[in-house]
Amino acid sequence: MSEADQELAKDLGPLAALTIGVGTMIGAGIFVLPGTAIENAGWFAVLSFGLGGAIALFTALSASELGTAMPKAGGAYYYVNQALGPLFGSIAGWSNWLGLAFASAFYMVGFGEYIRAIFGVALSVSVGPVAVTSVKAFALVGAVAFVGVNYVGAKETGRLQNAIVILLVSILAVFTVAGAVRAEPANLPPGKGLTPLLTTTGIIFVSYLGFVQITSVAEEIKDPGRNLPRAVIGSVVLVTAIYMLVLITMAAAVDQGFIAEQQLAGRIAIVEVGRLLLGPAGAMALLLGGLLATASSANASILASSRINFAMGRDRLVTPDLNVVHPSFGTPYRSIAITGGLILLFIVAGSVELLATLGSVLHLIIYGLLNVALIVMRETEVVEYAPTYHVPLYPLTPIAGTVLSFALIAFIAPVVIGLGAVLVLGAVGWYFGYARSRTPVHGALSNYILERRDRMPEPIVSAASGVQPDGGEFRVLVPVANPKHETDLITLACAIANQRDGVVEAIHIITVPDQTSLEYASRHFEDERETSQELLAAAERDAGYYGVPFKKSTIFSHRSIDEIFDAAREHDADMVVMGWGVHTAGRAEGTFEELTHTLPCDFLVFKDRGFDPEEILLPTAGGPSSELSAEIARVLMEEFGSEVTVLHVADDIEAGRAFLEEWSVAHELTNAKQLVESGDVDAEIEAAAREATMVILGATEQGLISRLLSGSVVVDVVEEVECSVLITESAHERSLRQRLFGR
Amino acid sequence: MSQAPPDLLSNVLLPVANAADARATARVLEPYQPDQVTALHVVEKGEGVPDKTPVEQSEAVANEAFSAVRERFPSAADRIVYRKRVVAAIVDVADELEASAIVFCPQQSGRLTKLLSGDRSLQLVTTATRPVIALHRGD
Repeated sequence: MSEADQELAKDLGPLAALTIGVGTMIGAGIFVLPGTAIENAGWFAVLSFGLGGAIALFTALSASELGTAMPKAGGAYYYVNQALGPLFGSIAGWSNWLGLAFASAFYMVGFGEYIRAIFGVALSVSVGPVAVTSVKAFALVGAVAFVGVNYVGAKETGRLQNAIVILLVSILAVFTVAGAVRAEPANLPPGKGLTPLLTTTGIIFVSYLGFVQITSVAEEIKDPGRNLPRAVIGSVVLVTAIYMLVLITMAAAVDQGFIAEQQLAGRIAIVEVGRLLLGPAGAMALLLGGLLATASSANASILASSRINFAMGRDRLVTPDLNVVHPSFGTPYRSIAITGGLILLFIVAGSVELLATLGSVLHLIIYGLLNVALIVMRETEVVEYAPTYHVPLYPLTPIAGTVLSFALIAFIAPVVIGLGAVLVLGAVGWYFGYARSRTPVHGALSNYILERRDRMPEPIVSAASGVQPDGGEFRVLVPVANPKHETDLITLACAIANQRDGVVEAIHIITVPDQTSLEYASRHFEDERETSQELLAAAERDAGYYGVPFKKSTIFSHRSIDEIFDAAREHDADMVVMGWGVHTAGRAEGTFEELTHTLPCDFLVFKDRGFDPEEILLPTAGGPSSELSAEIARVLMEEFGSEVTVLHVADDIEAGRAFLEEWSVAHELTNAKQLVESGDVDAEIEAAAREATMVILGATEQGLISRLLSGSVVVDVVEEVECSVLITESAHERSLRQRLFGR
Repeated sequence: MSQAPPDLLSNVLLPVANAADARATARVLEPYQPDQVTALHVVEKGEGVPDKTPVEQSEAVANEAFSAVRERFPSAADRIVYRKRVVAAIVDVADELEASAIVFCPQQSGRLTKLLSGDRSLQLVTTATRPVIALHRGD
């Protein structure tokens, strides 16, 4: 994709990004909760909102830095997963997703309350143990409508979103000004103390959920380095100011007992205050505002949750099937449907307060983890971590963010904390039970610990390696060409796949002369196609004996070796097992432009003189690929009961013996015979090979295999010995950049 | 001197929505042996609002579709564009590439879908500035 196209994908300007944050945050929180807040805390409710804003701000700063460094879909979950690994990633992902579902349910109940206030219908119907009030009924209908809109992917709602936000801010501004005119300190209901202040902060914190969602659409923001922090921090500051002003109005512009009176009568406090200040027009405006606010917040949250599902699926923490795109609507319809189902369930099962506080708790958990993630990314000095925005006063800021976020949880009702804990445990269980064996992602933290395992305290190292994911399907790619050798290659590949619980994929590359177009070949090379299918069918039969999952495909190409490398990358292979001899014969490449390809994965090249793993010779000098060679030797021992002899050639026999002992222990080959010789390396190997049926040779340098295949280098030993030779070369270290920012 | 008549299939633009659509269209088109095929995927942008799917996912869908086209037309070129109006984008790209024809398989969708997302097949056929070939469903 060209640079220009990439730029076109970014169409969110700074204002659009800001309105996403503001639109999500100004929702049911400010239109539903102030009455309760004042009732609980007196005029301290103003401070509650201020405190909530301050706590949010710390997280906003951290989120901005992380967002400019890693602008990828998934936002907070993605940062936690990358920094702290998939165990915490699982917690963050589930908390984020469920937290959004609870928050959406809360918004929809708010929506329902506003509908009821407009139409004045108040009924209650009992359905089993649950009382379905008219409020809930409206909430359910509203939820179905908004989920439906997202399912179908109507773009029009998006444009509406911006208009709605501007309208809301205007309504609240007018409300505040009207209140300011009538404000009198004497009206302030007395503050009820510190604890109510803090518990109230816990309840209203749901009003601040939304600024982190901006980071989950970071890929689409223009000039994200500048606009992302502005949008994230700006939205928090703006919204905090609005909230505090509204609260002041509600506390100071009406008589002390007024709010309590309205709460008792079951009316929406802010609407009644509006009615008092601005007459029926004011009340209407606020009712309209409430509807729009709850609607836009719910809409934004549903969208955000589908992004989180996508990010989790991408990391294999949940099944990628969840993110399938609808063929007509182009939306991730399954994710949206499931989230919708959860929202409906939560609406029925929960009260306004429960939904709001549970949504808050789950988000506070994520915010705490997000701040920790920032600290980890900085401290482990991940090289590719290069944010354009840096939090001020590091490390105080993220530490404060972590402490305050987790501390606020303590002031929320115990029942809710309990439920939150249950969900967290569930997420942990999910990781160990499902995600661990599937996700290939390793967190920066565990990498850091394991790289320094000799310097770290034992319990930490074992904890880190204990929770390591072992996921990602192990895939062995076998380019087959020569029917004579196909069986041997497949046998070897299946043996390896068996040991690693993996799959084998056979490909046959039909080389097409340059002058012939690939289309022509695809249509006319019937004979070749038939031969190819026979060859692959034979491979499939052979693999069938081992019961290893098997796939096959035919590829037409002008190149052969390059195609193997490409196929390895495209098919996500972990290992390639190929025969050698046939490819170098008609080198269709002509001149290699770059003589050393970066190996996309481990490569095994088999010089086939018969497959007999009975007596294996493994010469080693501890070179870069010796680990891979050792691994293969172990596999063969397991599968075929091979006798392995490890050979080391050194001038000093004693030192050589010591080295070999250490090496054998380190590579778990203590059952192998150890042979130390002195003299010429090649000669000794050839001598020892006379007793052997197979030699495993690790590449002594990077790039050996690709040079071997292109015929630009010859390994004497291979030609001299009489038995089969297996040459191994490890994948070149994938840079952290590739691991962090995708393949 | 009479000129050779223009060949409808000399430079075909193949808009594809996803891998299944691409596979089906390519299969039906293959026997007609177009000279040059360019697969096109339009990512529908919200323009000012977030998209339905994240950019990464949209691109993954596009690449799957392109691979599917290449199963039948190994040297097909491909383009991804990001535009708000899908049909207008297809028409513009066709002009840019000077395509001889736009070839597609109309999607079967119900009345409701057509109502909600607009009848794209009709739009394409009525607003294009180049020949549009609607292929039948192959099975």
